[in-house]
Amino acid sequence: MKQLVRSQGFGAIIGVVAMLVVFTLIDFSGWWTNQTVANVSQFTAILAFVAMGQALVIMTKEIDLSVGSVYGLAGVAFITLEPALGVPGSFVLALAIAALVGFLQAIAVVKGELPSMIVTLGGLFAARGIIYVWTGGSVHNFSPAARSHPMTRLLGGELFGIDAAILWLITVAAILGLLLWATPFGNRLLATGGSRESAESRGVRTDRIKIAAFILCSLLAGFAGILTLCNQPQTHVTLGENMELEAIAAAVIGGCLLTGGRGSILGAILGALIVVSFRYELIALGAPSSWYITFIGAVLIVAVIFNQKLARFLGHSA
Amino acid sequence: MTNTHPLIQVKNLDLHFGAFHALKNVSVDFHAGELIGLVGDNGAGKTTLIRVLCGIYAPSSGEVFFDGKKIEKFHPKLAIDQGIETIQQSVGLCDNLSIARNFYLGREPVKRILGIPFLDFAKMREKSTRVIRQFGLRDNVSADDEVERLSGGERQSVKIGRAVEFMNRVVIMDEPTNHLSVREREHVNELAVQLKEQGLLVIYITHDIFQVHKLADRVVIMENGAKVADASTDAMTAEELEEVIRQGGRLVEKREAV
Repeated sequence: MKQLVRSQGFGAIIGVVAMLVVFTLIDFSGWWTNQTVANVSQFTAILAFVAMGQALVIMTKEIDLSVGSVYGLAGVAFITLEPALGVPGSFVLALAIAALVGFLQAIAVVKGELPSMIVTLGGLFAARGIIYVWTGGSVHNFSPAARSHPMTRLLGGELFGIDAAILWLITVAAILGLLLWATPFGNRLLATGGSRESAESRGVRTDRIKIAAFILCSLLAGFAGILTLCNQPQTHVTLGENMELEAIAAAVIGGCLLTGGRGSILGAILGALIVVSFRYELIALGAPSSWYITFIGAVLIVAVIFNQKLARFLGHSA
Repeated sequence: MTNTHPLIQVKNLDLHFGAFHALKNVSVDFHAGELIGLVGDNGAGKTTLIRVLCGIYAPSSGEVFFDGKKIEKFHPKLAIDQGIETIQQSVGLCDNLSIARNFYLGREPVKRILGIPFLDFAKMREKSTRVIRQFGLRDNVSADDEVERLSGGERQSVKIGRAVEFMNRVVIMDEPTNHLSVREREHVNELAVQLKEQGLLVIYITHDIFQVHKLADRVVIMENGAKVADASTDAMTAEELEEVIRQGGRLVEKREAV
């Protein structure tokens, strides 16, 4: 219990409970329907993938603004390369493209000693530009054969009556959680974000840790793009636009500190749940959809204040 | 006590940071089983020199030999692997991690499950608990507590305990008794002597000349990036030592001239 309370996801657990109580009170019949629960969990799963990757990067005291574009780029690659390579081939190549984007940005950050905010802002524009050039602005679809390919169904359909994306999220989150909490890599990643100098004095190769975090982040964003398109195999040039901001918001709401070294996988998922739930519920309540952005901004600021108070209460210096 | 060939030999070491000449033609030998006091004013180059020895800075020119072998690549990891441990003033512990996690940072013990290396929490906890008890941390501090909770003295104790635990050949202590209570200071100094008696090379950096004169076998004095004196503590009183530092090495030059 003590571990749980001290963990970075604790604030987000309180946030989710509070949010669910409020939504239940104001909109019981609208909120607790199969349709709403299914939609919210599906969108949460997709955003959670991107947020988990973002959380890993933030924990190393960097940031990745390119995830929305990488999400879109991997999705576009997956759909447009399929006729030539088949579903498994385009899946692998789309992920490889995502990983490459992460790797190149990481090299610029680590070897070029450039601020990740600038490098990945460049990545955001560059990858989005490639999407425009690649698709020529047009919409691409999967052929019926590709839609019914077992792999497409495994990634985008339903398994045991549950959206595949949710099962993938549970699997990947469990792996990432273990990686972060129970392996030397996770220990060194948190150390890199906590105090890079101290980590290096212990022989930790913080450059490599950061490169790995950026690659993982891009891979997760790319995987989320692929999952989305397996579910609805149609690309738009705007695929994943603004997603970087939602992912950062989710990670921060989930207890990630931009000062590095603190955060959790569970927190990122719960943060994504909060962001998606607000979007969905505001629209359901009939608020103009444009208000949603404002609300996310307000939730973000409240969450940061709350997490900070909680951290002080628990005796962290952050 | 000293062996015939030096454990660490520094030859004609120069280090430039841009236009700044941080180390100037430094040559010095360190032997196993010696406790060396490295003294000098702020900015004298003491910390810069040890940062070369522990792999943080690579020299601009000159050579460093460890156990007779020339060091070709400078990296903290390589230095640690060779058994050179550094206890620095502000560096070495990550506040956001537990004592056990800090203790083993960079060389975590693992248990392999299906070939995947998982942290061996039981071992990490047990060993670091034993060490923190031995080094007098408060009883209510556990190995699972974050380092953030520790006092300055407790932090040093964790670092020293770590250096002892890993059976190093060289322990470099960079002002290890700063921010410590009198009792903690004595404890750390006793420990430095104990390490030396076990046959380790201990390099002890401090501003406290009287303290180091009592502890060290030999004192190396630096000034403006250069070595200005290197003398056995038997050959010089603490007062003479202080005078040398005050004169910035001119006294030694004068002596040599005579």
